[in-house]
This record gives sequence, structure tokens and C-alpha cells, in this order.
Amino acid sequence: MGGWDRIRGSRTRLGGGGSRNSQASDRQSSSRTVRLGSVRPQHPGHRTIYCNDRDANLPVRFKGNSISTTKYNVATFFPKGLFEQFRRVANLYFLMISILSTTPISPVNPVTNMVPLSLVLLVSLVKEAFEDWKRLQNDMVINSSPIDILQDQKWESIPWKKLQVGDLVRVKQDGFFPADLLLLASTNPDGVCYTETANLDGETNLKIRKALERTWDYLLPDKAAEFKGEIQCEQPNNSLYTFTGNLIIQKQTLPLSPNQILLRGCSLRNTEYIVGVVVFTGHETKVMMNSMNVPSKRSTLERKLDKLILTLFGVLFLMCLIGAIGSGVFISRKYYYLGLDESVEDQFNPNNRFVVAILTMFTLITLYSTIIPISLYVSIEMIKFIQSTQFINKDLHMYHVESNTPALARTSNLNEELGQVEYIFSDKTGTLTRNLMEFFKCSIGGEVYGTGITEIEKGGAQRNGLRIDGVKKATTTVHEKGFNFDDPRLMLGAWRNERDPDSCKEFFRCLAICHTVLPEGDETPEKITYQAASPDEAALVTAAKNFGFFFYRRTPTMIMVRESHVEKMGKIEDVSYEILSVLEFNSTRKRQSVICRYPNGRLVLYCKGADTVIYERLAHGNHNIKKTTREHLEEFGSAGLRTLCLAYRDLSSDLYETWNEKFIQAKSALREREKKLDEVADLIEKDLILIGSTAIEDKLQDGVPSCIETLSRAGIKIWVLTGDKMETAINIAYACSLINNDMKQFIISSETEAIREVESRGDTVETERVIRASVKQELKRCLEEAQHYLHTVSGPKLALIIDGKCLMYALDPNLRVTLLNLSLNCSSVVCCRVSPLQKAQVTSLVKKGARKITLSIGDGANDVSMIQAAHVGVGISGLEGMQAVMASDFAIAQFRFLTDLLLVHGRWSYLRICKVVTYFFYKNLTFTLTQFWFTFQTGFSGQRFYDDWFQSLYNVIFTALPVIIVGLFDEDVSAPLSKKYPELYKEGIRNTFFKWRVLSVWAFFSVYQSLVFYYFTIAASRKGHNTSGKIFGLWDVSTMAFTCIVITVNGRLLMACNSITRWHHISIAGSIVAWFVFIFLYSGVSTPYDRQENIFFVIYVLMSTSYFYLTLLLVPVVALLGDFVYQGIQRWFFPYDYQIIQEIHRNEPEVSSRTELMEIGHHLTPDEERSFAIAQLPRETSKHTGFAFDSPGYESFFASQAGVLAPQKPWDVARRASMRSQQRTPKKN
Amino acid sequence: MMDMEVRSTSGAGGGTPPVPVNLRRSKAYYRFTQQNLPACKPVLTPGWVISIFLLTGVIFMPIGLIALHASQSVVEIVYRYDTECIPESFRSNKVAYIKDSSISKNCNQTLKVQKHMKAPIHIYYQLDNYYQNHRRYVKSRSDRQLLHGLNYNATSSCQPEELNNELPIVPCGLIAWSMFNDTYTFSRETAELKVNRKNIAWKSDREHKFGKDVYPFNFQNGTLVGGGKLNPRVPLNEQEDLIVWMRTAALPSFRKLYGRIEVDLEADEFIAVKFVNNYNSYSFGGEKKLVLSTSSWLGGKNDFLGVAYIAVGCCCIFISLLFTLLHVKNPRHESESSPQDSEIQMTTR
Repeated sequence: MGGWDRIRGSRTRLGGGGSRNSQASDRQSSSRTVRLGSVRPQHPGHRTIYCNDRDANLPVRFKGNSISTTKYNVATFFPKGLFEQFRRVANLYFLMISILSTTPISPVNPVTNMVPLSLVLLVSLVKEAFEDWKRLQNDMVINSSPIDILQDQKWESIPWKKLQVGDLVRVKQDGFFPADLLLLASTNPDGVCYTETANLDGETNLKIRKALERTWDYLLPDKAAEFKGEIQCEQPNNSLYTFTGNLIIQKQTLPLSPNQILLRGCSLRNTEYIVGVVVFTGHETKVMMNSMNVPSKRSTLERKLDKLILTLFGVLFLMCLIGAIGSGVFISRKYYYLGLDESVEDQFNPNNRFVVAILTMFTLITLYSTIIPISLYVSIEMIKFIQSTQFINKDLHMYHVESNTPALARTSNLNEELGQVEYIFSDKTGTLTRNLMEFFKCSIGGEVYGTGITEIEKGGAQRNGLRIDGVKKATTTVHEKGFNFDDPRLMLGAWRNERDPDSCKEFFRCLAICHTVLPEGDETPEKITYQAASPDEAALVTAAKNFGFFFYRRTPTMIMVRESHVEKMGKIEDVSYEILSVLEFNSTRKRQSVICRYPNGRLVLYCKGADTVIYERLAHGNHNIKKTTREHLEEFGSAGLRTLCLAYRDLSSDLYETWNEKFIQAKSALREREKKLDEVADLIEKDLILIGSTAIEDKLQDGVPSCIETLSRAGIKIWVLTGDKMETAINIAYACSLINNDMKQFIISSETEAIREVESRGDTVETERVIRASVKQELKRCLEEAQHYLHTVSGPKLALIIDGKCLMYALDPNLRVTLLNLSLNCSSVVCCRVSPLQKAQVTSLVKKGARKITLSIGDGANDVSMIQAAHVGVGISGLEGMQAVMASDFAIAQFRFLTDLLLVHGRWSYLRICKVVTYFFYKNLTFTLTQFWFTFQTGFSGQRFYDDWFQSLYNVIFTALPVIIVGLFDEDVSAPLSKKYPELYKEGIRNTFFKWRVLSVWAFFSVYQSLVFYYFTIAASRKGHNTSGKIFGLWDVSTMAFTCIVITVNGRLLMACNSITRWHHISIAGSIVAWFVFIFLYSGVSTPYDRQENIFFVIYVLMSTSYFYLTLLLVPVVALLGDFVYQGIQRWFFPYDYQIIQEIHRNEPEVSSRTELMEIGHHLTPDEERSFAIAQLPRETSKHTGFAFDSPGYESFFASQAGVLAPQKPWDVARRASMRSQQRTPKKN
Repeated sequence: MMDMEVRSTSGAGGGTPPVPVNLRRSKAYYRFTQQNLPACKPVLTPGWVISIFLLTGVIFMPIGLIALHASQSVVEIVYRYDTECIPESFRSNKVAYIKDSSISKNCNQTLKVQKHMKAPIHIYYQLDNYYQNHRRYVKSRSDRQLLHGLNYNATSSCQPEELNNELPIVPCGLIAWSMFNDTYTFSRETAELKVNRKNIAWKSDREHKFGKDVYPFNFQNGTLVGGGKLNPRVPLNEQEDLIVWMRTAALPSFRKLYGRIEVDLEADEFIAVKFVNNYNSYSFGGEKKLVLSTSSWLGGKNDFLGVAYIAVGCCCIFISLLFTLLHVKNPRHESESSPQDSEIQMTTR
């Protein structure tokens, strides 16, 4: 409070020294705090809000609640929009060329460069305007949606935008919070309300918010009007899960926590209405502060494209230089007919040849500007947009029927990157595995229970040649969601006869009490469903239920458990445990504790958590149980099971009371509350007594092993990065056929005897030194061995397994290179026990160190940093929260859809974009080169060969559409074949189709073709052309040449196609027809202004001669002949892989794949089709948020790089909102 | 597309039976999104390559032969006269000769007709190393003025030959100013051969680009005197020499039509040509030639098209033979693919 006192002091001081005016106001508002003119000192780190008192808040000028997410407004649209456009180098270049072409040095009319540029700009601006218009409409809807605020003891409805900080508002059920609110009162008992945060973090479970007890009463308007208080809280910031502040009410200071804060963007559920005070408004709300854009990723191909454009600039410069030198040499007075007398302008003045050369340079730059394909970027954008919205999002192969989730391309600029991925970094849980947890085994008091055999064990046994028959399921087996356990020793109360029934009892009670699960539905064991933030928890509570400890009701202070009576079989009793404190789970603590009081007054702390943290906190003694339990843990781990240790501690009430004081203090701390809470928790979570451990099976996703096998055949290396234990990770890797016994495994682990021993000594510096040394030594040894294997001819494949602790040292700059060398030689790598930050580090190690294209796939919040770090981030959209999806570039429902995403869509996109880019390069180079050859025969004067309009429309009309069609429809081999021959994908990894070699072949043929166009048309035109012997002029010849170019360039595209649809025909024929229609009209009319009627009637003159027809046949054929020979030879003698596949399947009717696809279409039942259609509808992005929430709602990769740990999952009492769908459907009917 | 999407989805979402048009559309749309449009997938197999080459060759050869034949049937006499029509004394200083207007520029030469020439015989003049396509030259004209005469005053494009005594020169610009002004008269034995100088320009030029009431009243009578002169009493659209000259050539070496002789010339006949060698080609080292040429359906004597067709045809046939030979000698039998194929069949099982 020291800070606050200081502020008060300064305030008084100021007030005392102020004018009479301020003293007057001082007196006047004595009941409130002091007012000082217009400025109230706000502590830079805090804000003070006077609740329900607009006048008091007025001077501070808090921001209003209206929001604007538009990029532009009417006034700024053109300047800003154009500025955005001209940030692209190509557009800027063309702007400069256009400006240059208005000067007299230009050989071309400004229109030549203006038209394409303005068309390109128009398309882009229309798109921008459309998007912004939609945003504006959204904003308007949001800003004017009504909200009830308290005015004169009544609720009055005002639009959101009029809302001000400090207002008291009422939000009704299903309503959205208009701003960040402090919850005062709720219609629910205990001041509780439920919020849905799907708009923030995508999590569909409901969060509980609870008002301070002191404010519960301010619910009705007359009562609420009496509410006067002062909130002192932090300044607006973007951290969604933190809030620190105090509510000062009637001179009492009450600590506020995130628990009382309702964030804008969330909505109210299961509560009739709540009353709250506005804390942050408009753009200062946490959700808006979060909505900054994550810098968008650019694909590797696009970056290479930049290099190509630069090269083209180089070529352009060279061409201009040649022309400029030529013009300097050429210009001379002897050409008297050029009128080069003394008063001639500089650019033709023979007296100063240097100036002539310089000016000609500029002339030629404008003339050859077409070498840079202006419409390339726009075309590529359009193609990619359609690819992602129409193809990827709508592919039935990637539509998951069960969860009704289609694939979703969240960005459209990485499509072709999908075709070049070489490394996949995969999360394990939820990605490879189902995140469907089933209670499978347990160890109680040193005894293992549970008879099941996991898939992994079966797989392992099969690898070792054993056969395991399907175990007969006992009829007594209870199998429900989350529980797959069978052991007669425990079931049906049989545990009472076990050796250590007390341990069993503690075990079951711990399962039933120590959790944050919320029961839902009827309070009977059959009908109840548990809503938990993590499926593990639900599985554990379900297990307790099946063991006879049925948790059926939770109140904020109580947990009710229906226990089968401990002494007497068959009798049940309801026991209510008072929950005194909950020490929540977070990723640093890795444990969770509950302190409860039995009805008989016994005080117990139940704790469950990761084995490492629990073992550190166990009481001394009892070595036997500890040892056997550890053995069991390892056994479970090797079977691929997830383990948790359970422990308890009896507390005395004195101990508890003293501790609780510290705990409450920590809870109300304004700064570093989290850290303090952790520290306080550590004080009581010690001297625990181990009960046992649980083992939960984590099921593999459908089709994962075969998908991984396909991907590895495609040359993609898959790394598994997981937080799980080494044994679990290795076993999952086995199960997914990432590792097999033929592989040489390098294991670098910190769990060695030597390291353990050093660690037990507790000297951190020493430990670090030892681990570092051993990691270094291990890495060196492995690398040597690996290189030895690589030199042998048929050496085994290599696999590297490394754990997080070792990785930390291996990622050290000194060792990084060694690690990279080693891991790149391995065909699979498993990193276990890694933190989210390390996941990102490993990803960027490969991305930056090896310069390979990486893809990260994950489903959870802990994968976000990795997803953002990789070239391509893929999120699994499905059961868990949506953070990963929100951070990803693509979202798919199942890991196995990666096959389709990469091998089909990625490969095709890559192929298509390559084709589009190279073709653009070719067609512009060809066109410009004909112009270049002509320059040599005009005395390097820079005379244009073509009419202005030809040149300006060449890119935007005569050759624009077909290439887009190819970019959309070209298919080398069909989708089923792409998946059948994953090896085809390697062409993308090697970047076969966008190499400099490929480009130089195109360049060679464009030189060849341009020479053919120019010299053939010229040579054929030198003499008379029909029986009347009349002669052609310049424009006749150039029109002829241009006609040939349009036909050839379009024909060349047809030759490059692997599949030709109707659309190809239409667009290619259409382009050629468009040219003829254009020239017929254009040369047929004469305009009333002096545009130099060069072209007048040219085409009709041309078409009256036989020359036209003969040339028209000859030139395109000769031009394409070169390419055709090349293609023939290339295909025959040096075929690409896809060409071989094409030939193998040449004779197979295409029907097979088609029917298969149609079948999938038909397989969908009407209901499924319908749900697919609904899923395809524009997402119901709730209109009340109305902004693209690009950044996930918590620390991004960048934050975690700064050393901030990813925050814990909101492990608060949670409920999955299956109710959302329940609510929506009835409304429709 | 968007329209379609909405329809198809709303159709499915509403659960109403879609009307047939919708069905077809949504089916097409379905195929589009599933990237399964009906397509032909041409595979460029050796067979195709060979037959396409063969076909091209087979088509091109006869066209080439016909074109070449047509070109060969044209008789052409080319005579360079700029070197001949200079008196011995001026051979070392041609420029002085051509610029001295006091010296008579007449010059008589005799041409021998090698082959029978069938009327009409086109008379061309050919200029070499003359950059009619220079940027400064090409733009130095005003098409509006040519059509509308003094009614159109914005003739800035004509610089530097724009104004004379504050009035625009008609026709203005460098092109008109530098008009070719050599003349040729032909006689056979004693009789003069009549040269028809009408209809040497394209009809579209005459009718639409040059005004019929525009007279070159102040052309070449100021201080800026260049090439040819025009009869101020004849409207521009009848000044065909000018019209021909103003259709600027594409290359620095070009021919322009001068007129026609409308009688046949027999083989071994001698024709006397009287040149008036006015035009200065000596300054820039150009060449002037007189060309007499008959024409065929193809036009003048131009072997290029015929030769090109034949060459391409030959090439194609040669390549197709070469490929056939390779194909026979080293056939790409399916053996390399078939085991793989069967293996694939197995994996798919």
C-alpha cells in the first residue's frame, strides 16, 4: 500500500498548493476523493475507477467502449490502401515506370504501364475495401448492440459504444460481456456465474467466476444504485489470465483476482443475469489488446520468387545497358532525316552522347518494363485463395465425420509450402494419440492391479515373436468411457480383502476428492457425466466411482461422495468432505492438492502429480513402497501408460491455520501472485505419504501408424516432441512404427546413474557441469557412431532419443551443431520431457540450422510455440481447446489427414505454383525479348515494337486467365495415385520444379521463341504480300508478331498441362479469341483525338494477305517445336517420377479414382452430408467479437522465448459446454 | 462460384429436395471442390511424339513446296543505282553532289529482263540503312492533321518540322519532310512504258487516314526544305507517294511501292530507265535500289516462307525417324514398370 499512500500524499500536496478553484472543488466533493482540475494523477502502473459514478471518472478520460477494427476509413482508404499496395516492390516499380512514362523520354504512352498497374491495384483495393466493409458492418453491429446499465435506480438499455468505465451493467443469460467487467453479483447462489470463453481461447468448457462475498447483494437496481466503491487495478494489458487489483468498499480493501473478472468476448451461461462494473472498455479490453496480428509467414517458394524477380531486374538492367551504349554510339548528325540540328533535345543530341545513353537507359527501362510480371502476385494470391478455400477446406477426404470437422486453411499463403515439407514435428498427446484416457492399471501400496494389455505391449510382443490371444473379456468387466479396468481383486468391493485395505481406501478417496471435476446430470452412477478440464481427471473420478467412491455433487466448499461402506459390504453412505483449500495444477508445479476436512474432523491433504515432484516431497522412510512403486511406474511407462502418483498427508489444525494465513496473504498479493502462491503451496506439500500410482491408457488415433509409414516413404522425417516420459515416448514411437528393432537407437538421457547421484547431492552448479559434460560426450560418441554407420553400405537406420534435460544442454550454442548433425542423420527423433519452449527451439534449430522446411503439428496449448516456430503450423481441431488451431496455419481433425494435406494438396499446390511462376517468367521474358531484338534495328532509339494497348493488355487479358486455370486444375497424377506413391513427394522436397536449372531451360526457350517470333515475322514480311504488291509497315509486322506470341504463349501453356479440363480449353481459346476481338474492334475504329492511328485497319490489311495465314501457321509451330522436342526427350530419357507413374497408369481409366471419390460422396448419409454442409457454411464467428483473433489467447512463442512459461491451463472448475449445441438447435426449430 | 456454393449448401442445409438445375450445378461444384473435374490427361508417350512430328512434317512439306514454288515463279530485277548515278567527278564527294541543286540529277541506265515478266510489274524503290523506325522519326507526324488539315492545330508531335511562319506545315513532321523524291521513267526501245502510280497505297490509308480536302499548301517552301515536294493543288488522299512513305517501315532496310508497269516484259528485253537521283542517301551511307518484280498469290519474291516450311517439315520427319529408330532399337517396354506395378497391386490389397 506504500505506493498508494505516496499518491495520496502527492495529491494532497498538489491540492494544497492549487488555486482557489481546486480548493472549492475539494470542498464540494469532500465525500469523494480529491479532484484536481482535469488531470487526476493516475499511477503509471495502476488505474483507479470510481464505480457507479460517471462524474468522478470523467476527468481521467478513459477510452470509450466503441471499437473499430477497420483498417481504413473513407478518408484514409485511398492513401493508406495505396500505400499498403505500394509496399510491394513490384507495384512500386510499376508506379515508378508509369511516372517515367509520362515524361518525353518514354517510348510508350503512359497507358501502357498504367492500365495493368491500375487493374492490379483495382483488384487488390476492391478486395481490401470489401474486407474492410465487412469489418465495419461488424463493428457497427457490435457497437450498437444494447446493454443494460444502471441509471437512476433503473436498468436502461444503451448501445455498447456509450458504455463508460465505472458503469454498473447487467448482462443477461447468453449475453456477451460488453467490456471487461468486475463481477459484483449474480442470480446464482454464492455469487457464481459461468462463462464461455470460446471466442477467446476456443475452449468450449465453461469457466466459473465468483464474485466477492462482500458484493453479492448488489443485484437489484435499487440496491445496486447504492453501490459505491473504488477499484484500484492494473493498467490495461493483454494477459488474459491475470488480473490484479483491489476493491475498496467502505474503507475495506478486498483483493481482486481473475476469478472476478468477466472478459469482453465471453458470454454468460447458466446464469439468469449478473451485475458488474466496467473496468476496461473498448480497445483497452484484454481481448482487444490481444488482437494484434501475428506477422504472417511467407512461403519458401515465394522467397525464392523474390530472388527470381531480382534476377529479372538484373537482366533488365543489362538489356538497358546494352541498348543505352548502342544509342550513344549510333546517334549521329549524318542521319539528317532525324532532324538532329543544333537545337535538338538532350536525348538525341549527338554532341553529348553520354547524356543520350543515360536518357536512353530510362527510355528502355520503361520499354522493357514488361519483363517484370506485374500480375504475378495478384494471380498467385487468387490461386492460393481458391486452393485453400475451395479445395483444402472442402476436401471430403479430410472431413472427419464423427466430429463434423472439415479441414481449415487459416492462411492461404502457405499452400505450396505443404508440398516441400521435409521435417514434421509432432506432438504426441492428442495428435498421435487420441487423448481419450482410460483408467487402465494402478499400483496401490506396492501392489499392481489391472489385467489389461495395451496395444503397445501387444505390438512389442509381436515384434518379439510372441502371439497374444485376445484376452477373454470377463463378463463382470465394467467398460465405460474413461474406464477400462478389470481386476477382481479390486472390483465390487473386493479390495477390502486385500493386504492393505487402508491404502486402497486412501487411494480411492484421493481419486474421488482431489480433482476439479464438475458432475453433471442425474446424481446416479449410471447417468452422471463428469466435466473435467483434462480427460485424465475424468477418467480418475470415473475410476473412483467404479471402485465404490461415487463423487456426485460439488459445492464451492463441499464435495459429496457416496461411499460404499468401508466395513459392511453393500451398504452405502453419503459423506461430505469440506474443501478448505485447493492448490491448483500448473505446469511448473506438476501437481495438484486439495486440503479437506472429513466429517469427523480429520484434516488431510491429498496430492496427486508427476512422479518426480511427488517423490521429492515424500516423507522419509517406507523405502519398500517407494521402490516397488517406482518399479511399477517404470513398468507402466514402458507399456505406454500415463502415470500419476497419489500421496496424502495428515495435517493438524494448527499447522493448517498458520499456513492458511500465509496462503490468504499470497492470494491477495498484488504483484507476483502466482509465484507467491507456488511458494506457499510448497510449504505444505511436503512430508507426504505415498499411496500408489495410477496408469491411464492413451489410445492411438486412427490410422496413425500407416500415415507415418506413408509419410516416411515420402521422404519426410518425423520427430516426436512430447512432454511424456522417455519410456512412454519410445513406446508410442514403436507403436507408430517410427522406431523399430532394426534401427540403431541412440539414447541420450539424463536418467543415468551418474547424473542421479550428482543430483542427489543437490549442488546445482556441479549437477549442471556434470550433465553438460556427459551430454557433450554422448553427442560426440553418437555422432561418430552414426557417421560410421552411414559409411557402411547397408547400415541400419538410425533413431535418436533425447530427453528434455539433456536437450537443454544440447541446444547450447556450442553443442547445437553436433546435435543438428546427429539428428539430421537419423530417420526418426524422439524428444521426451520437453517444455513448450524446447519444442520451439528444436523446431527452429532444424528450420534455421538445416534450412529445411518444417511442419509442426499439435493440438494443445503447449504446442503453440512450436506451431508458430515452424514454417507450417498445423493444429488438430477436435476435442481439446483451440489454442493450437488459433495459432496454426492449417487445422485438420486427425493426424492421418496429413497424408492428404501434404501428399495431395501440398504436392499439387507446389506443382501448380511452380508452373504458374515459371510460366509467368517465360511469357514475360519472351514478350520483352522480341522488343529487345527490335531495339537493335531501330538505331537503339527505344522505339516500341508493339502498340501501347497490346503491351498493356498482354499481361492482364490475353494471357491472364489460362494460367490461373492451370494454377487451379493442373494435376499430374490423381489424388489416389499421389497417396499410393508417396515417393512422388520427394520431388517437392528436392524443389525439383523451381530450380535455377528449370528456370534456365524456360529462359533458353523464351530466347529461342522470341528470336523465332521476331525474325520469322520480319523475314517473311520484307517483300510484297499480295498480288497488288503493296508493302507492310512497322505496325503490320508487329501486329503479326503479337498475334503469333499470343497464340504460342497460350499454346505453350497447354503443352505444360498434365490434365486438360474444359476450363483449360475455354480459357485458352477465350484468351486467343479475346485478342482477335480486341484487335478487330481496336483497329476498326478511329478515335477523335491524336493517338497516332498506327493500328488503324492493320488487322484487316494483314488478313487480306496470304502472308498472314502462312506465318500464323509457321511461327507458333516452329516456336513450340523446340519445347516439344525438349519435352519429348526429357520425358523419354530423363523422366520425372510423376511421369513414370503417369505412364504406368496411362491405360487405367480415370474412372476408378472418380468413382471412389463419388462413393465417398455417396457414403455420407444425408445427415452427415447435411452436417458437412453446415460445417462448410461461413463460420459463425460470433458477431459480438467481430475481429480476427489472430493471436492465441496467451503467451506466444515470443513471450516464451523471453523466459515466460506457458501458463497453466485454466484448471478451474470447468464444465464442457456440450450445452452450446443443445441451446442452438432448439432455437432454430 | 460463390453463388453456387450458397445454393448447394443451402439446398443441403435446408434439406429440401434441390431442383434439377441446382443438382447439376452442385454436382459440378462438388467435382470442382474435390478437384475431380473431367479431364483428359495427355501423356506424351514416344508414340505420340513420333506421330505428332510425322504429322507436322507431312503437313508442312507440301505447304513449303507450294510456297517455294510460288516464290520462285516471281521474277525480280534489283538494280542499285545510287552508286552508278553519280558523275565520275563526284565519286569521292557524293554528299556535295547530291546537295548541289544546280547539278542535273538525271541519269540513264539500261536493265536487262532475264525472264518473261507478266504484268502487272511492280516498281519498288528500296532503301537500306535508313532508319524509318527510329523513335524520333516514327512519332514525328500528326495523323489528325493529315486527316483534318489546318482544322487541327495541336501538332506538337511533329517537331522539329512543325511550323512555318507560325502556321503548321501541312503535312508536318519529319516523315513527310523527308519524303523520297527520286523518280523513274521507263522506256522500251523507243516507246515509253507507262507507269501507273495509282493504287499503290492501302485503301484504308487513302480513305481514312488522309483528308480529301487537305492540301499541302505550305509544304517544303519555308526554310526547312527536306525531301520530296507535293503538288499543293492535289489533296493529301490522292498523294499516294506520300501515303506510301508515311507507312513507316519496320526495318532499316525496306521497299516501297512506286508504281506499276501494266504490260508484260519479255525475256532478254532491254529497258531504259531514266533516274532522277534526288534523294540524299549518301550522307548516312545508305543504298538505293530499283526493284522490278512480278507477283504471285504469295506476293513478291520471298523464299523465306517456303524454305522455312520445308526446313521445318524436314526436321520433323527427321526427328520422327530418329525417334522411331530409337524406339525400335531400345523400346521402352513395360518391363521396367510391370514388376513395380504388380508390387503396387500387392501393397494396395
